[in-house]
Amino acid sequence: MKRQLTIATEPIDEAALFAQREMSSGMGAAIYFLGVVRESEGAEKISAIDYETFHKMAEHQFSLLFDEMEKRWPIESVRLVHRIGVVKVSEPSLWVEIVAPHRGEAFAACQWLIDEMKRVVPIWKKPLSRV
Amino acid sequence: MQITIHFHSYFKELTGCVETREEIRSDSTIADLFHRLSEKFPKLAAMEKSTLIAVGVEYQKKDYVLKEGDEVSLFPPVQGG
Repeated sequence: MKRQLTIATEPIDEAALFAQREMSSGMGAAIYFLGVVRESEGAEKISAIDYETFHKMAEHQFSLLFDEMEKRWPIESVRLVHRIGVVKVSEPSLWVEIVAPHRGEAFAACQWLIDEMKRVVPIWKKPLSRV
Repeated sequence: MQITIHFHSYFKELTGCVETREEIRSDSTIADLFHRLSEKFPKLAAMEKSTLIAVGVEYQKKDYVLKEGDEVSLFPPVQGG
């Protein structure tokens, strides 16, 4: 399974990510998920979220998740980009792409990966209030 | 032996620092270390149940026996996405 992980402060460039997509002829499903910063956190209106990570551990934990994902589903590739630092409302903070033979495993793997990321990958968010 | 402890997310505000060092006995566990840190940083004590603990880049439980040079990280539940 090909893996590409980016944890960085730069804005997520969806067009560039789409342009770099690679799929072999045996693959029938490419799905992607975009996580975008909402304007509210609970009852509070916010202007942005400041994401912090323990980078080295985050990379390691993502690697373990990719290992497990590869055991569970016949995924050809996974690409994941998580932005850190200040991400404004309506801007993407997370982009995940899964390429697999069929949509079922692609959707299942994507859902699982994001759920597990939220459980074990050391990334935290600090909402920034509107001023 | 000496252990380095790193704090992440709002644990930095709770303790007022990003890292600290503790001199502990050679058979000490993470539970022993957390008890020591709770005395040093009282606001940490209230967070005990929700605190996640890693040694290096691996999660560890409270009964993990610390070794010389271990780098321990303490942080609240993660929230990526």
